[in-house]
Amino acid sequence: MDIKEYIELVFSDYTLRTITLGTAILGAVTGMLGSFAVLRKQSLLGDAISHAALPGIAIAFLITGSKDSNTLLIGALVSGLIGTFWIRGIVTKTHLKSDTALGLILSLFFGFGMLLLTFIQKQPNANQAGLDKYLFGQAATLLESDVWLMAIITGICLLVLLFFWKEFKLFLFDADYAKTLGFNTTFIDVLITSFIVLAIVLGLQTVGVVLMSAMLLAPAAAARQWTNSLTNMVVLAAIFGAFSGVFGTAISASQNNLSTGPVIVIVASVFVIFSFIFSPSRGLLFRQIRFIANRRDLELQKTLAFMYHIAETHENISHPHTIKILNNFQGYTRKTLKKLVDKNYVTLDGTMWSLTEKGFETAANLYNQQAIKDE
Amino acid sequence: MNSAQIEIQLIASLVAIACAIPGTFLVLRKMAMISDAISHSILPGLVVGFFITQDLNSPLLILLAALTGVITVILVERIQKTGLVKEDTAIGLVFPALFSIGVILIAKNANDVHLDVDAVLLGELAFAPFDRLIISGVDVGPKSLWVIGIILSVTITLLIAFFKELKISTFDAGLAASLGFSPALIHYGLMTVASITTVGSFDAVGAILVVALMIAPAACAYLLTTDLKKMLGLAIIFGVFSAISGYWLAHWLDASIAGSITTMLGLLFLFIYLFAPNKGLIAVIYREKQQRIEVSLLTFLLHLKNHSEERERHVNHLQEHINWQKVRAKTVLELALKNNMILIDNKIVSLTQKGDEFTSKAIDYIITNEDAQIEDMKDDFFLFRG
Repeated sequence: MDIKEYIELVFSDYTLRTITLGTAILGAVTGMLGSFAVLRKQSLLGDAISHAALPGIAIAFLITGSKDSNTLLIGALVSGLIGTFWIRGIVTKTHLKSDTALGLILSLFFGFGMLLLTFIQKQPNANQAGLDKYLFGQAATLLESDVWLMAIITGICLLVLLFFWKEFKLFLFDADYAKTLGFNTTFIDVLITSFIVLAIVLGLQTVGVVLMSAMLLAPAAAARQWTNSLTNMVVLAAIFGAFSGVFGTAISASQNNLSTGPVIVIVASVFVIFSFIFSPSRGLLFRQIRFIANRRDLELQKTLAFMYHIAETHENISHPHTIKILNNFQGYTRKTLKKLVDKNYVTLDGTMWSLTEKGFETAANLYNQQAIKDE
Repeated sequence: MNSAQIEIQLIASLVAIACAIPGTFLVLRKMAMISDAISHSILPGLVVGFFITQDLNSPLLILLAALTGVITVILVERIQKTGLVKEDTAIGLVFPALFSIGVILIAKNANDVHLDVDAVLLGELAFAPFDRLIISGVDVGPKSLWVIGIILSVTITLLIAFFKELKISTFDAGLAASLGFSPALIHYGLMTVASITTVGSFDAVGAILVVALMIAPAACAYLLTTDLKKMLGLAIIFGVFSAISGYWLAHWLDASIAGSITTMLGLLFLFIYLFAPNKGLIAVIYREKQQRIEVSLLTFLLHLKNHSEERERHVNHLQEHINWQKVRAKTVLELALKNNMILIDNKIVSLTQKGDEFTSKAIDYIITNEDAQIEDMKDDFFLFRG
């Protein structure tokens, strides 16, 4: 199946269209809210919440007996929120650290959820199958109504974000200052956290509890590498998330036996790796290049300084010296020498070098100021 | 109880002990979430190991999967060192990616791999007694019992041999390094043990329960004691208790054993979280309330000392002047009266000799803010708590 054919299919085939749209919207909303989780250093909260949502799904099913995804998601939301606030209770009221609290809630809620799921499976009720799709997610079970729900919630998220943008931003970077300005920080905190829980719960059906945290983190972590502005980061994260969804769906649809959730996570991880390496300002590649350039620069200056100290002892600063005096310990390489010649600091004559007037002056000012660096 | 039931409880208890030991140190070192990361990311190692060995209990497979766990830790540290993201984000990025690779590997080779992702996450303890180790025709017990038994004895040996080093490096990494213990060696040693334990236990109880068994007993013990040896002992007791009670819960509900054990751990933690003396929620809230009253009392006494005019010392005026609600004002007033700090004469409050001395001391402390001053006063303060 080539790309053109696939794109046509996305528009014509109901299932594929629904899934593609669903995962794209999901990616966008998780990316958007994930930015806040990452910046608040609550990255693993997503993991804990998604696991903590499982008993809610099971209890909602036990109470209502229906498999309607909206009912189950409300259960997931409630139990996710309970988990989140319990984590907070543990961290603020006891000596336990946040990592222990996260791990506790994550594993205990998940284990309880599994107990309920296996308990439900043993019940004489034909309706019970299919709950385990929430473990790993099944994008194929998305219905148009689910996508509508996602779209509506994303819209609400967007509105709230725009409405409270200033407050969110302030709270994110300087919570104490926000408090002194008279903003209700508890309210803002609860609002952000609730929306993060909401986004996670939305994704459970598609990606599943186990991998949901990556949907939250990966786009945001990738976006963080490209910008230092919150607005740009949120927008970029939404775009990365949406593309992870679309590409992930496309790849899993074009192959047999590939579930969508893990593929979306892998695509998102590829975005992250790409951003880590190729981002111009923070990326590893350019950082290494800058590092090497700086080192060369330093070596060049070292050579120049060495030459300067030799030239200093002579009356005529342009008195020629043999290249042999320059050794590797002074940062000398043929390349640096050539560069010095290019910059007109040094003239070469056979195996002899001599400092020019300009070179001498530059070297004399080397330690006084940094300004000459750019010359 | 038949022999299979005894064997299941024995395996569960051994797993609980084997998890509690590294778990205690993970909790103390604030690395609890690493165990979650390891438990997920061993999946690709398991699948690859399974391709090679075709046996879930083979030692080679366990080593390969444990290696993946250590690789996870190294990857997380590498990513963190680049400074591009924080540590928790690094953890959150690495393990879902590795887990996804594992899931995809299983899905793509579903015909060759008799591995179920559900089984990896949840384990199936109920089937453990049926996979028996037979040496030269003699049945010597379930394979997983041997696997976890060997891992546990190695863990205990290492614990006893390196207890001192572990203890120092956990509580004071700087001192440990200056005494010549390699922090890196202890760190990776602990990570290796945690990985091997995770891999050895997942077959019986699943990856998520391993996390629960590592963190929850240690967290419970942490709320009850400040002594490392006691904490280890308590964690082991809690682990074994929930393993056995969880088994019977599962038996009764006819549900997943791993899920029931986790649920028992959850109930245990909830109980200790609420009722632990000193560190439990109720104790903390009670103490905070006490401290609030103590501070109020101090404020009240200072107010009395500062004002000699009767208008300021009238019982009814106090509410308005220090902005207290009626109930709180009454509590503070009664407390002060009970401790002979004040006298109420015709609705006018005045300090007694004792109250006056106490207040002077308190002012001294507030002005100098030296700890030595408060030491004497603590006895006076604790009068109120008694």
